[in-house]
Amino acid sequence: MTPRALRKLLDAILIPLLAVLSGLVLMGVLVVVTGKPLWESYQILFTSAFGCKNAATSCSLFTTLERATPLIFTGLSAVVAFRSGMFSIGQEGQYLMGAVMAAYLGYAIHLPYVIHPIVIILASMAAGAVYSWIPGILKVKLGVNELLATIMLNAIATTFTEYMVQYPMRADRGTTAHSPIIDATAFLPSFFQGSRWGVGFIIAVLAVIVVIVYLWRTKSGYEQRMAGQSLKFAFYGGIPSDQAAIRAMVISGALAGLAGAVEVLGVQHRIMTGFSTGLGFDGLTAAILGQTHPIGVFIVAILFAGLRLGAQIGLQIQVHIPQEVGGTIIGFIILFVAARKFYENSIASVRKLLTRNKDIKAKGEGG
Amino acid sequence: MGDFFQVFTFQLLNSGIRLATPILLAALGGALCNKAGVLDLALEAKMLLGAFVGILAAYLLHNTYLGVLVGMLAGGLLGLFFAFLYHKYEVDLVILAIAFNLIILELTVFLMRVLFNNVGSWTDPSIQILPDIQIPLIKDIPVLGDILSGYNAIVYASWLIVVIMYVVLYKTPFGRHIRAVGENKEAAETVGINARMIQTMALTIAGMLAAMGGAFLSVGHLTLFTRNMSDGRGWTAIAAALFGLNHPVWTGLASLFFGFTAAFSVRIQNVTNLDPNLVNMIPNIATLLVLVIIALRTKIWERMARSRFRSKLREEDRAKDIAKSV
Amino acid sequence: MVPILEMKGISRYFSSTDVLANDRVDFSVEKGVVHALVGENGAGKTTLMNILYGLIKPDSGEIFIEGKKVRIGHPNDAIKVGIGMVHQHFELVPSFTVAENIKLGIEPTRAGFLNTRAENEDVAQLAQKFGLKIDPQVRVRDLPVGMQQRVEILKVLQRQAKIVILDEPTAVLTPQEVGELSTVVRGLTKLGLTVIFITHKLIEVLDVCDRVSVMRAGRMVGTKAVAETDIPDLAKMMVGREVLLRVKKEPAKMGGVVFESKDASVADISGLAAISHVSFDVHAGEILGIAGVSGNGQTELVEALAGMKPLDGGKFFFKDKDITATNVRARRDLGIAHIPEDRMTVGLNLQTTLDENLIVSRYNQPEYSRMGFLIEKTIRNFVETVIKSFSISAARPGEGISKLSGGNLQKIVLGRELAGSPSLILANQPTRGLDVGSIEFVHKTLVEARDRGCAIVLVSVELEEIMSLADRILIFYRGMIQGELITSQTNEHEVGILMAGGTMEEVRKQKAAAESEVNR
Repeated sequence: MTPRALRKLLDAILIPLLAVLSGLVLMGVLVVVTGKPLWESYQILFTSAFGCKNAATSCSLFTTLERATPLIFTGLSAVVAFRSGMFSIGQEGQYLMGAVMAAYLGYAIHLPYVIHPIVIILASMAAGAVYSWIPGILKVKLGVNELLATIMLNAIATTFTEYMVQYPMRADRGTTAHSPIIDATAFLPSFFQGSRWGVGFIIAVLAVIVVIVYLWRTKSGYEQRMAGQSLKFAFYGGIPSDQAAIRAMVISGALAGLAGAVEVLGVQHRIMTGFSTGLGFDGLTAAILGQTHPIGVFIVAILFAGLRLGAQIGLQIQVHIPQEVGGTIIGFIILFVAARKFYENSIASVRKLLTRNKDIKAKGEGG
Repeated sequence: MGDFFQVFTFQLLNSGIRLATPILLAALGGALCNKAGVLDLALEAKMLLGAFVGILAAYLLHNTYLGVLVGMLAGGLLGLFFAFLYHKYEVDLVILAIAFNLIILELTVFLMRVLFNNVGSWTDPSIQILPDIQIPLIKDIPVLGDILSGYNAIVYASWLIVVIMYVVLYKTPFGRHIRAVGENKEAAETVGINARMIQTMALTIAGMLAAMGGAFLSVGHLTLFTRNMSDGRGWTAIAAALFGLNHPVWTGLASLFFGFTAAFSVRIQNVTNLDPNLVNMIPNIATLLVLVIIALRTKIWERMARSRFRSKLREEDRAKDIAKSV
Repeated sequence: MVPILEMKGISRYFSSTDVLANDRVDFSVEKGVVHALVGENGAGKTTLMNILYGLIKPDSGEIFIEGKKVRIGHPNDAIKVGIGMVHQHFELVPSFTVAENIKLGIEPTRAGFLNTRAENEDVAQLAQKFGLKIDPQVRVRDLPVGMQQRVEILKVLQRQAKIVILDEPTAVLTPQEVGELSTVVRGLTKLGLTVIFITHKLIEVLDVCDRVSVMRAGRMVGTKAVAETDIPDLAKMMVGREVLLRVKKEPAKMGGVVFESKDASVADISGLAAISHVSFDVHAGEILGIAGVSGNGQTELVEALAGMKPLDGGKFFFKDKDITATNVRARRDLGIAHIPEDRMTVGLNLQTTLDENLIVSRYNQPEYSRMGFLIEKTIRNFVETVIKSFSISAARPGEGISKLSGGNLQKIVLGRELAGSPSLILANQPTRGLDVGSIEFVHKTLVEARDRGCAIVLVSVELEEIMSLADRILIFYRGMIQGELITSQTNEHEVGILMAGGTMEEVRKQKAAAESEVNR
């Protein structure tokens, strides 16, 4: 890598890195405040998140990767939307629509192996795409604020999902409603028996590559990025920005819908009450911390999933620190990244201090 | 059919009002911020914080009313911090809100587990639920009595706040300044109004109100704190404020609308086979429609200005043709 | 008699644009008069008034109100000494009523609550006192622009202004509203107030004003009583005789008509005419200059020509084909290039690389993309060609451009727009903010394009640029063509007359007067 490119990369990741470090420091504070051993906690956190003793039977890393998978998809969804200038936070709703579609087609239609999941995935992507197209067209044709529209659509989707689980698709007679388990032909296989990490992750990696190629190597991706960075420039140059924005929303929705399909086909194999656990928002935050770049999303999604898992099976069980510390730290990391000006100001002051010392030294030596 | 009408009892109105209260309080806060030109999406966080601190303070101080007040204080401080970060570091409002929501969600449970021996939800017999207040004369009025009397202090406070907010916003100079800042910040600043301070105050008050709503959930409804008690009510409040076009009274009515549908959906479940979730969708769809209608209105206005100009041009051309032919 | 306002030796330099906006300016105003402050864009009049109103601090100089020295560091200070300013862009709250806007910040109260009755009465009285008919209870958004301006004026009067500054007040008014404003202004002076009119629309000024001060290039050129001067005289003071840049060029070898505008009209946001019944044509091999003080419709004209704004009336023809309904991309494909006024936010996307900036108008062509994918090789070749032919220093393929100088940025724009041999170039203020070397480069490039047979529409508020580059000149005033002149047969004064709102008749008179001077 050329030194210039390296410099650019460092510039891009400096503040997120500082934010993550600040978050970890804060975790240390919380650990000390609750009277638990500090260094041991850090160790346990990391081994519980990313450790791997036996590939087949006890590998937290694989669990982390599996948990990161939906985040990668919803994060990519947010990246595509943001890069085209659409501040859509509708990943949650689009994800649910995709999941409902997948859960339904999993038992309602019967197709052979390999074909079944492919058809379902395409259908879920379509469901998410349509659900994202709605706020897109409203914004472009009528000027409706996409942030507010997607908030409302998220709420509608959440209630809709609960409805589907509790009534038309209900398969149980108990207190926690759930839909029928999907056909075996629809399953996305996992790599190891007993682990849920599987083909879904491969699809996620593929998605990252596809999004990178799409954004930076295709005409459409170029149009979207220009429209997102400078609408005036895009209009002046003749780029059809309206079409580009709607296309972005459709692709964004498809990715979020894909998240739902993969979660249902690969992990849960059905949907149940309380299916929506805020995965959409987590993907959104991954996109923010990951500097709206697909690779950033990939890394951060794994980081977030790891933090939560490490807190859950490591800190909670071994050191008796409540697992919520994981989510708390993630929240603070987002806060630190959002307040990047704080870091920028501090870095500038440090720089000023260093050059002032240099000047004083120079003057001292000259005079 | 008779089943259907059984649903409409005064019980329904009662629970509707109770269910609406936390939404109403947070929505008023959100509406105030919107009026001041700053979008507050962190209502969920403020509500949850109020719920947690409220019950904790009630327990420690052996007084539920004081607990509620301390909860409100906490919410206010959170709002103040939010405003500080927004103004000082130019943080994006949406990202800031998402961060706050996540932090408070997890941190409240973390603290609960740390303080109370790792429980999943916490209560204590010594905590007194907020008592229902029976208003002396009104309670005896046949129908209205059941509807208007017998709620706890927070419910009545919420009604009072609707009135107070209306009066302040539309009948005092301060309220007018708030609205000016929200509609045209430059115009306000030119005449010497401090926009930053007004927005900070709005965010702080919103924090206090949302926290009061949260306290209602933890000590006014049950005496319990559990993970994610607010359960999306903060977001519902945002919708209610939008639906009520940020006007205190309309927002109040919109919150009641949301509250009644929630009560209605519960009732329906017990009485008929209709699905409660579909009912709950109605207010959200309605809010979305409101957004669309508002946008349409602006678009139509622009179109009309354009077409007025074009018909004027056509007239001018016609006049010229007539002048030529003469 | 001590003048009510005296500004002495005001100087102000802006490092961001390297411009000395005010150069030891002396400005003196008598009490009770309507005093016009005129000049072209960049003459320094707005800066001078912003200093007076406390929006900017001067580098040096003093201000005296009624003989007493004052320090004005903030608009509040200006208001305290009785200065009020009505800006070109109003600062009103649309949903508030007239009275609510006027009383914003100083509302009358009763026991802490708003006293709307007193408010409305106060405002009604105020309006009556100054002869301004207005209904205090109407919402500002329902008022026509002329009335909104009255609200702004009343806002100033409510705060006890003794000196009222009006910044380009007639720019947003219809001719009828201009008449009404004149009546209002006369009324104000009858009551002892002093009015300062910042404007470049001399025609309107002469009717209302008593005295005129002319500024040019940051200096105060002179002050006269209106009775002792006329449009040609003022135009001469406004545009001066400086002949700095003259590009060496051959006379134009004009070809056929490349573009024709028939009766074009475009509305602005509020439904008024931005340009109105504009007809002209451009030939191959000629540079058509569009002169005029900024804000007379030139921007809207260029946007309409580029396809960025739809026509509300009239038609455009390109090589005899009706292109009125075509969009930006279609026009670019036909061979219409556009060098925009704002190179940093419109002409370029500073957040991305040089390559992505250069391909915005051609990425759709078969050599640049296939089956949806961009072809790196073609793009890279193009970038390198442009860098070489325009000697863009410090720019490298694949790199960002945000740190490049204004001159280099404009070279990138030129490189992109001129590649592919366009038939028509729309150049809107192409040398704004550039250093002398870059200006020369741009001029040279445009003349070369013209000599290759390109048709060029050059919009500029710099009269020198127009005079040195354009073969023919159209002068825009209030969205219409005020007149047409052949460059070789005219001079700055004649153009200046039209720029200020004068008519071709006055130009002919001026020409005749000048010729008889020479003959004597």
